[in-house]
Amino acid sequence: MLSTLELSPQTLDADAPVRIAVKNLDFYYGEHKALKNINLDFRDRHVTALIGPSGCGKSTLLRIFNRIYSLYPEQKATGEILLDGRNIISNNVDVNELRSRIGMVFQKPTPFPMSIYDNVAFGIRLYEKPPKSELDDRVEGALRRAALWDEVKDKLKSSGMGLSGGQQQRLCIARTIAQKPEVILFDEPTSALDPISTGKIEDLLEQLKADFTIVIVTHNMQQAARISQYTAFMYLGEVIEFDATNTIFMNPHKKQTQDYVTGRFG
Amino acid sequence: MAAVTDQMAPGAHVARKTPKGTFDIVFRNASFLSALFVLVLLAGIMLSMVIGGWPAFREMGLGFLTSSVWDTQNDQYGALPAIVGTLSTALIALVIGVPLSLGIAVYLTQLAPPWFKQPVSTAIELLAAVPSIIYGMWGLFVFVPLWAAYVQVPLSNIIEGMPIIGTVLYSRSPSGLGILTAGIILAFMIIPFIASIVRDMLDQIPSVLRESAYGIGATTWEVVRHVLVPQAGVSIIGAVMLGLGRALGETMAVTFVVGNANRLSASIMDPGSTIASRIANEFNEALGLQLNALIALGCILFFVTFVVLVIARILVARVKAF
Amino acid sequence: MSLTTPSTVRPLPQVTWGRVRQSRRTADRIMKVTAAGFTFLAIFVLFWILGMLVVKGLGGLSAATFTQITPGPGSEGGGLANAIVGSMVLTFLGIAVATPIGVLAGTYLAEYGKGSKLADLIRFINDILLSAPSILIGLFVYVIMVEPLGGYSGWAGGVALGIIAIPVIVRTTEDMLRLVPGPLREAGSALGAPPSVVITSITWRAAKSGMVTGILLALARIAGETAPLIFTALNNNFWFSPNLLGGVSNLPVTIYQFASAPYENWQQLAWAGSLIITVSILVLSIIARRIVRGGK
Repeated sequence: MLSTLELSPQTLDADAPVRIAVKNLDFYYGEHKALKNINLDFRDRHVTALIGPSGCGKSTLLRIFNRIYSLYPEQKATGEILLDGRNIISNNVDVNELRSRIGMVFQKPTPFPMSIYDNVAFGIRLYEKPPKSELDDRVEGALRRAALWDEVKDKLKSSGMGLSGGQQQRLCIARTIAQKPEVILFDEPTSALDPISTGKIEDLLEQLKADFTIVIVTHNMQQAARISQYTAFMYLGEVIEFDATNTIFMNPHKKQTQDYVTGRFG
Repeated sequence: MAAVTDQMAPGAHVARKTPKGTFDIVFRNASFLSALFVLVLLAGIMLSMVIGGWPAFREMGLGFLTSSVWDTQNDQYGALPAIVGTLSTALIALVIGVPLSLGIAVYLTQLAPPWFKQPVSTAIELLAAVPSIIYGMWGLFVFVPLWAAYVQVPLSNIIEGMPIIGTVLYSRSPSGLGILTAGIILAFMIIPFIASIVRDMLDQIPSVLRESAYGIGATTWEVVRHVLVPQAGVSIIGAVMLGLGRALGETMAVTFVVGNANRLSASIMDPGSTIASRIANEFNEALGLQLNALIALGCILFFVTFVVLVIARILVARVKAF
Repeated sequence: MSLTTPSTVRPLPQVTWGRVRQSRRTADRIMKVTAAGFTFLAIFVLFWILGMLVVKGLGGLSAATFTQITPGPGSEGGGLANAIVGSMVLTFLGIAVATPIGVLAGTYLAEYGKGSKLADLIRFINDILLSAPSILIGLFVYVIMVEPLGGYSGWAGGVALGIIAIPVIVRTTEDMLRLVPGPLREAGSALGAPPSVVITSITWRAAKSGMVTGILLALARIAGETAPLIFTALNNNFWFSPNLLGGVSNLPVTIYQFASAPYENWQQLAWAGSLIITVSILVLSIIARRIVRGGK
């Protein structure tokens, strides 16, 4: 296999409970069926990577977990996604609350048009009314965990738009973890960033998995290999193979997976 | 590229025949002069207002701005009631029209089902195509009688004698005409302008920003209020200023419903006049200094709207043609 | 494709749903209902106005509306023939004045004026003129034409309408020319065509439908203008003379003068005129919109 691949050193915890269980999931863009019968389990406090060629449906799948797709009336999901045993694609789930429990970091940094402090405090204030001192602590804590505190502690009141791209993306991560979600979704979070910023974000993911269940979509196989414990390879709207990352990259069972991870197609 | 070559053939032929491309120079200069003409127009309007109004400014001095006497017999003219009327009708139009416009823009960009968005957008834009005089007809013959019967009369009965609102909202003669009526009609006239600019601005915001605001668990209202509106930022103020520019200079609709009274009143239910309505009403019978006074009113209107529109255009920074 | 079930499952922390405060949901619902309500209110007003025009205008419409001229005070019957024709003459005069100037100026801004400070200034001033009160244009033409030439005329009316139309045409022409891809121009220049030929035979042709739309929008804009005509073309109840000197009858000012007059036939004609003018303008605007959308 790929000798250059640097595989994640941590062992995975086989006893970890399942945080999100996807069962018989289909997804439609209007008439077009974009995902076909997806079944996957996401382990608590592990990083699971979704890989596959462009258009394979990996981002589509990620966008179902926090139901961001439901902003677009022509998109529809059927089947089950169980978060702690509760089907989150049924209509009786409050999508706003769901999104506060399943955070998402997007492809491009999306600082809100407000100060750095308010960006991080925004999500907390929506759901809690902590006293000022506690809020300050939470904001500082989130910025520290996002490895951004030292760079912004003197300019918390200035606009989040003034930061560099990499800093903005860490601000978005701080904003997400400040809400204390259970799951964080990353949609190609480094594709718009330079290699140094990418490295910082990858280090961050490594630390975040101690507290959060992480699902990351990436087109970068090295990245998937470096940071994830589980990997699902998707192709044409289906999951071709799902296993421990080491297995997917070193010893895949399907020919298509092998072709993809060795760079023969994709 | 074959088609382009075909189109080119006659033109290229002409160009080769014409020594040094006379047509080229003529065309370029004609374009340049036409563009310059736009500047000449604005300068011409400004100059003609200043010169035409000069006799009145000279005769009345600063009193032209501060006096509320409009006496054609004795040739005494003061612009104060018209200025106050213009500003108050425009302000009322904004107070009513801006929330309506923002609501419409939010509905069109965030809430309307996709198949519904286009027809509703077109309907809102058609409100801008309806001529001013038709708003006047609707205002005078449909709105005014209803307003008098169902708002002015009962409201005056209730609030009579109360402090402040008993004055500001009391109608001495509940005819339906008045400053507030004009403001309401104006509000509907400026809505399409403000709403469609704000709609375009909200549409231009990258969807990933909107998604990440929803992604943090915010409701539609919170997304609009804390993320989308601040992101559109000062250009929304620009759109509002553009609406203000419209409201200040609107003539026919206001002339129909404002009541055309040459006096100041403490009540917005009472008839008044605006600069534009005063000019439209008196111009054809005006002679001598009265004519100059009316053009002087136009001069004031010009400078006020000019300042408002300059600020508006800077803030909006070219969003859409109207 | 689930993994093997773990033998000893660590329990997940207990989570309780229902953290969304009721006040947030209420605020959201109020906002949604209000926004929808505002939208429907605006549409309701549009249909109210159109309904009013149909109900009151159809009653006054007859063959005579189009064949007879506007009646004098106190005389019976009458129609709007002179006003309709007068309006058409004035409007087309305005477009005839505005089109060459507007198209050329728009062409200058899009093709020649790239990066020039003067072009930026002209563009800015044009945008100001676009929203300038039309009554001021009327006063302006009164001062420069009616007063020096000693009387109201259709020419002054046409010029006033033309001045209102110019910024609309400048703006749409420039916008439409900017949509024409650069390589098309380069292909023309590569054949040795001078800029003027590239513009007139390639760029203009490519942008034709958009430029026509601009002219139609300008037409719709000026067809209903009333205020500037009061100071320029005025109005009367006769057929205007072919040299367009003296007052020229036109629909908007006729409506203005007839609407609140004490004669019932005048009022009827005002409504009929309102219906005619509004329907024409709305049809023009819708056609213009169709062209824009079809062209994209």
